Amino acid sequence: MPNQPVKRGDIVLEARGITKRFPGVVANDHIDFEIRAGEIHAILGENGAGKTTLMKILFGLLQPDEGEVYVHGQQVTIHSPLDSIHLGIGMVHQNRKLIPAHSVIENIILGHPKAGSVPDMRRTRDEIAEICERYGFNIDLKAKVWQLSEGEKQAVEILKTLYRGARILILDEPTSALSPPETEKLLESIRMMTGDDLALVPFITHKLPIVLAISDRVTVLRRGNVTARLRTADATENSLAKEMVGREVIFRLEHVEVEKGKPILEVEDLSALNDKGQLALKGISFTVHEGEIFGIAGVSGNGQQVLAEVLAGLRKAEAGRVSMDGVDISRFDNLERWKKGMGYIPSDRNNVGSIGAYSLVENVLMNYYFDSAFSSWGIVDSQKTRKLTEELIAEYDIATPGPDTTARSLSGGNLQKLILARVLSRMPRLIIANLPTQGLDVGATEFVQNKLLEAKRQQAAILLISEDLEEVLSLSDRVAPIYEGEFMGNLPVKDVSIEDIGAMMAGLKQKVAQ
Amino acid sequence: MRLGGYEVKLDKKVRVTGLEATTISLLAILIGLALVGLIFLKAGVNPLTGYRAIFSYAFVNAFGLPLTINRSVFILLCTCAFIIPMKAGLWNIGMAGQLYAGALGAFGVALAFGAKGSQTPTQAPAVIIGLMMLAALVGGALIGAIPGFLKGRFNTNEIVVTMMLNSIAFWLIAYMIKEGGPFMGGGGEGEGFKLSQSIFPPTVLGGAFTIPLALGLAALLYFMFAKTTLGYQIKAFGLSPSAAKYAGISPHNVPLLVFILGGLIAGLAGYHYFSAVPGVYKIPLNYGDFGDLSFYGIICGLISQSNPLAAIPFALLFGGLTNGGRFVQGQLQLGYGIDYALLGVLMITLVAFQFFYRNTLVWKKIERES
Repeated sequence: MPNQPVKRGDIVLEARGITKRFPGVVANDHIDFEIRAGEIHAILGENGAGKTTLMKILFGLLQPDEGEVYVHGQQVTIHSPLDSIHLGIGMVHQNRKLIPAHSVIENIILGHPKAGSVPDMRRTRDEIAEICERYGFNIDLKAKVWQLSEGEKQAVEILKTLYRGARILILDEPTSALSPPETEKLLESIRMMTGDDLALVPFITHKLPIVLAISDRVTVLRRGNVTARLRTADATENSLAKEMVGREVIFRLEHVEVEKGKPILEVEDLSALNDKGQLALKGISFTVHEGEIFGIAGVSGNGQQVLAEVLAGLRKAEAGRVSMDGVDISRFDNLERWKKGMGYIPSDRNNVGSIGAYSLVENVLMNYYFDSAFSSWGIVDSQKTRKLTEELIAEYDIATPGPDTTARSLSGGNLQKLILARVLSRMPRLIIANLPTQGLDVGATEFVQNKLLEAKRQQAAILLISEDLEEVLSLSDRVAPIYEGEFMGNLPVKDVSIEDIGAMMAGLKQKVAQ
Repeated sequence: MRLGGYEVKLDKKVRVTGLEATTISLLAILIGLALVGLIFLKAGVNPLTGYRAIFSYAFVNAFGLPLTINRSVFILLCTCAFIIPMKAGLWNIGMAGQLYAGALGAFGVALAFGAKGSQTPTQAPAVIIGLMMLAALVGGALIGAIPGFLKGRFNTNEIVVTMMLNSIAFWLIAYMIKEGGPFMGGGGEGEGFKLSQSIFPPTVLGGAFTIPLALGLAALLYFMFAKTTLGYQIKAFGLSPSAAKYAGISPHNVPLLVFILGGLIAGLAGYHYFSAVPGVYKIPLNYGDFGDLSFYGIICGLISQSNPLAAIPFALLFGGLTNGGRFVQGQLQLGYGIDYALLGVLMITLVAFQFFYRNTLVWKKIERES
C-alpha cells in the first residue's frame, strides 16, 4: 500500500469510533479522527486523557474493543507493530529505544529486513545520508548513540522509521526532551517532511506553543473523549488549555516576593569534566541566598547536568570550591550533603530519581534509610516509612492505588510528585531542582512550580535548572544563562527580556555596560 | 492463539504468591521426572522402580540420608554465596574457588598447630577449631574480594574474574595436596592430610554442627534483605546503580561488600564439607567434584528467585538427586550419566516453568458465531 501514489490532502489514515476499555476506565470512548498526507495533526491531552492508548492502538500494541481503522481508505486490522510498519506507519517513542553502544547506522538498520544478515554498510550509509540531507538532519552516522544529545537521538529514531519506509509518523512527545534550538531544528525537519507529503501525528501533553507553531489541525482529548477538533489557525494557547484541562489555566505565575536572606550556597571557580572527560564546566561562580530562586537557563548539554551532579556530590570537581552556610562542602559526599540540608531533584526521574521495581515506600526510603529516625541497629522502621509515604501521597495528591505499588506503575507526573514530595519532606534549606517540570503535563507542571514557590516562601534557597525559558523567567529572582560551561551573565530577572536570555544561551556574553 | 474451541492468551502477572510459586515448581519437577522416565524406559527400567530407588536411597536410607543432608547444606551455602551478589545484580560464578580457598585456610591453620594425623595438636582443640573456621571464612572472603574490588573500581567483568580464580584455586589445592605438597596426606594417594581426632568439630544430633548454622544463615540473609538498611542498599544497587548512587549508595563498596560476603559463605561451605562432616576431615582426592557441586548453587539461586529460604527445598532436592542418582546408576546398572541427565532435565524444566512466575495462561471458550 505505501507505494500507492498519494496526493497532498488525501486522507491516509482514518479512525472511526475507536473504543478501548480497561477495568474501571474507558480509555478511549468512540474517538474519530482523520489524518491527511502533508499535514501535521496534533493529538493533545493531559496524562491519562487516553493518548497513549490511542497511539498503541494505531501502532498495533493494543487492539480496540470497538471501532475501525482505515489506511488509504481500506479497513485494516493492526495486530502488531510489524503490521503497522508494513502499512507505512512509523512510531517515534518518547522513551528512546536505541542501543547506546551501537553506532547511529547500526541502530537504524537493526531489524531492518533490507539489511539482511550481512549488511552492505556503504550502500546503507549512502541511503541514510540521503534521507538525512533531504530532511535536514545533521548527524554523524558513525557516532555511537551514547555520544549523542537528546535531539540527535530523536533524529535517529525518526530516521529509523523513515528508512523503514514510513509515510505516517506518530511522534510521542516529540519535543519534551529537547532544548529550544533542538526543537527549532526538529520543527524545520518536520516541515520538510510534510513538504514531501508525509503525514505527521505528534502526541503532546504540554508545550502548547509547539502545537500552535507546527500543527495544521488539533484533536484534543480529555478523559477518553474528543473535546475539540479544530484548525490550529482558529486556536489559541488559552483555548487549547481550557479544552485539555476543562478549566482556565493561569500561565503566568505570580511572582513571589520574599525578603532575601543570608547566602546559603556559594560556588567559586567550579570546574568539572563530563563523562567523556571533556571540560564541561569552566570556572563558574555564583551565590544563592535564602528565599531566592536562582535560575540557570541553557540548552541541554552546556554543563548544567554536570553542575547539578557536582553540587549534589555525585561527580568530582576538577577545581573550585562549594560552600554551604559558610562551610566548605567540596569534599563532602552526597549523603553528607543531604544531611547538611541539601535536597536534589534529578532530571532523570526514571533511572536516577526512582527505582521502578521498588514500592513507593521503598522509594521514599531512598532519602531516609540513612536517617537514624528511620532505622535502628540497621533495621528499617518500616511502619514509620510507610506512614510518611501515606502522608506524602495524600499531601501531594499522588494518584496511586497505595504505598505498596511499584514506582514503575506511576505516570510521569505522579512520579515527579513523589520525588518532589520525598525531597521536600526533608525540609531542605538548599534545593537543587534539575529540569523539575520536563515532560509534565500542564496540571502537574503548575503543581511542581507552586511547590517550589512554597519552599521559597519558607526561606529555602533554590537552584533551578531549566530549558524552559518561560519557567525560568517566571520563577527565578536571578537568572544565569549558561553556554559551553560558562555563565554568559548573572542578573536579576526583572532586568532582562526573553530575547536577551535567548541570545546569551546562544553564546553571546552579557554586555558589560548594563 | 486458537486451540480447539478455546482462545488462549498470555497475561502478565504482577506478583506471584508463595503458593503459586510452590505449585509451579512442583509441576515443573513432576514434568521433569516424567521426561527422564522416558530415559528409564529406554534403558529397560520401570521408571517407578527407578524413582523409588533414587528417592528411598536419598531421603530414607540410613547411609544415603546423611550424605544427602551434608550435600544439601553444602549446596545451600553455595546458593547463599551466589544470592548475595545476585541481589546486587552481580554474578558470582566463583563459589568453587572460594570454597577451595576456605579449605586451604582451614587446613593451613590445622597444619600450623600440628593437628595432622596422629600428631598431638599444640593448642586446645576449641581454639584450633575456632581458628580453622575463621581462616576458612577469611580465605573465602579474600579470594571473593578480588572480583568485588575489580568490579567496583574498574568495572571488570565479575564472571570472567571469578571463573579464572576458580582455576587458580583448583590448581593451588592440587599443588598443596599432591606429590610432596605441604598438605599431602600420609598414604601418598594424592589427597590431603587427615585432621587429628582430637580436633574433630562437635556434632549436633550426630550431624555436622554446620547444618543448623547454614539454616540459620539462610534465615538471617532472608531477614537482611527484607528488613535491614544494608539489604535495602544492596537491592537498590542491583535494581538501578544510577538511582542507588543518587541515594548515596557507593558504587565502589557494594560490589566489594557483596563479594566478600558471598566468598565468606562459600568459604564456610568448604569448611563444612572438608572439616565438619563426620567421616571426611580432609581435602579428598575428588575435591574437584565439590567445585562442580557448588555450581548447583547458581541454579538453586536462580530457581528460588534469590530467596534464601525458598532455596532450602531446592538445595535438598538437588543434594538428594545427585546422591540417589549416582547410587541408582550403579545399583540398576544404568548407563553412565543418567544422574546428570536427570539433574539437567530438572534444571531445564524448573527454569522453563519460571515463565509462569511472570505470565499466566487465560483460556476463553470461543462462542460459535451463528
